[in-house]
Amino acid sequence: MLPFCLYFVAGLITAFHVYTLVALAAYGVPINPLEFLSLLGSLSLVTAAYISLFKPYAAARIALVACLVMWSFYAPAIVRSLHAFAK
Amino acid sequence: MIVPYLAIALLLVATGYSAIVSFRSTEGKARSWTFPDRAGRPARILVGVFTLIFLTGAGLWLLTSIRTSTRPSSRLLIPDGYTGWVRIGFEVKGTSSLPMEGNEYIVKIPVEGKLQTSSPEQYGWARDKYYYYSAEGVHPLDDSGPAQLIWGKINGEESGATGERKYEEFFVGTEQQFKDQGNEEHKARDR
Repeated sequence: MLPFCLYFVAGLITAFHVYTLVALAAYGVPINPLEFLSLLGSLSLVTAAYISLFKPYAAARIALVACLVMWSFYAPAIVRSLHAFAK
Repeated sequence: MIVPYLAIALLLVATGYSAIVSFRSTEGKARSWTFPDRAGRPARILVGVFTLIFLTGAGLWLLTSIRTSTRPSSRLLIPDGYTGWVRIGFEVKGTSSLPMEGNEYIVKIPVEGKLQTSSPEQYGWARDKYYYYSAEGVHPLDDSGPAQLIWGKINGEESGATGERKYEEFFVGTEQQFKDQGNEEHKARDR
């Protein structure tokens, strides 16, 4: 159950976070295409959570790819935030 | 806000865990709660029930939020030929409330572009309509598309001597006029 809980909660929280960023488009904030990629990663992570109940190792590989896809959004965002904080 | 930090922390843990499971050798190693084999029947039933409850809850929440996120639309009447910022102050004591026609608020902006009303600010989704008015009648203003004349709509709150004041602002004019006034504001700030 640990992989299910971990992948499911991580997929849900990251999806909610990125959704709040995408929703800002309603106020004129430009959308970053990487946000959609990250949402796709979150969906894959939730899918991996269900697969983990039957095939834990296949699910782990799917989850790893999903996480790497999500990092393509999160890593530059973290670097930019740290850069802005340092300034 | 805790969500971004929580998302990053969970993503870190999920990446690390999935990488370890993906690359670790399973030969001769006993199953444990940290690296379990496929889930048993009771666990799968539990997850099925949980998913059903989760989806029902999410559906109900979505329906409720759709119902509560709409508001009556507003018909904003702007003096014919007016260009510049329009400001509407809400919940101002001693002023009149906004009249309603059908299910629409009528917001008639005076010639100076500032209106104060005792009505509260409305939140939620609605399609507001903008018009120029004159003695001859009204004609609609585009708030989107190539002939857009409404820009930079903001809703804000500021503190004053009389307490918190809620307001709405937007610019009326062409895109060039909107950009020009923005540049002038920057120049004035730099001086």
